[in-house]
Amino acid sequence: MTADGTKTKKTPRAAPAARTARAELWRVVVLNDPVNRMSYVVMVLRRVFGLAEERARKHMLEVHETGRSVLWSGTREQAEAYVFALQQWHLTAMAQTDETA
Amino acid sequence: MKRVEIKLNISAVAPLLDIIKQAADDLRQNLAIRATFPEDDSEFNETWTQELLAGQNSDVRELLGLFGSDFFADGTITIDSHNSDSLLRGCSALRIQILTRWLQGIPADLLEDEDVPAEAIADEVRGPFASYTFLDQVQKIILEHLDPGAEEA
Repeated sequence: MTADGTKTKKTPRAAPAARTARAELWRVVVLNDPVNRMSYVVMVLRRVFGLAEERARKHMLEVHETGRSVLWSGTREQAEAYVFALQQWHLTAMAQTDETA
Repeated sequence: MKRVEIKLNISAVAPLLDIIKQAADDLRQNLAIRATFPEDDSEFNETWTQELLAGQNSDVRELLGLFGSDFFADGTITIDSHNSDSLLRGCSALRIQILTRWLQGIPADLLEDEDVPAEAIADEVRGPFASYTFLDQVQKIILEHLDPGAEEA
C-alpha cells in the first residue's frame, strides 16, 4: 500500500470489482496544517510521489498559501495508496473525484 | 550509513519527556490527525484506521525508546537512516497531539517562531510549548543532516 516504501506494508482492503469498474478520475489533495514544518512537507512529497525538490517545494508553497494542492490524479486504487502514505506521515490528505470535490 | 549523535542536557529534557509521554498515551488509541476516507465504507475505514494507528504507535515507541536508561546515563541520542523515518513521523504525531491538547490558544505565528521568548508563553503551557519546540528541533536535525528526502520514492 505504501507509495513511499515505509514500513507499514499491509494495505486497506482492496476495492471491490464493482467499484473499480468506474472510470472516475481521482485526485490526491493535500491540505494545509499548522504543525508540520515546510522542509518536512517537502521531504514527504518527495518520498511519496518521487518528486524533484523544486516541484515538491512548489506544491508545499501552494498548500501553505492557498490551503490545498492537487498532487496527483488517476485511478482510485493509486489515489488511495497515496493518501494512505501521506496520512502515515501525518499530512492531511484526501482522495476526491469531481463528485466529492 | 549517516549517523547523528545529539548530546542533550538531561535535566532540561527530563520534564519535556513527561509531557511527551502524556501525548504518547493520548495517541495509543487515537490518530494524531483524523483520517479521511475515499468512501463511506465502515469496514474499509476501520481497517485503514487501524493500520495507520499501528504505524503511529510503532513510530512513537521508537521515539520514546531514544530516551531510555542509556539516555539518562550520558544524555546522548543516536539517529541514523534505520530509525530516522520512524522518528520523523513520531515527532510529527506527538507535536500534533501536543498542539491539540495544550497549545490551541497560542497564535500560529508564535508556534512557527523558533526564537519565542519564554515570557511570550503563558506559564501553564510553557512545558508543552517547550516539548513541541524540542520535537521540532529533533525533526530539523534529521532533515538537515540525514537528508531523508533523497531516498527513492
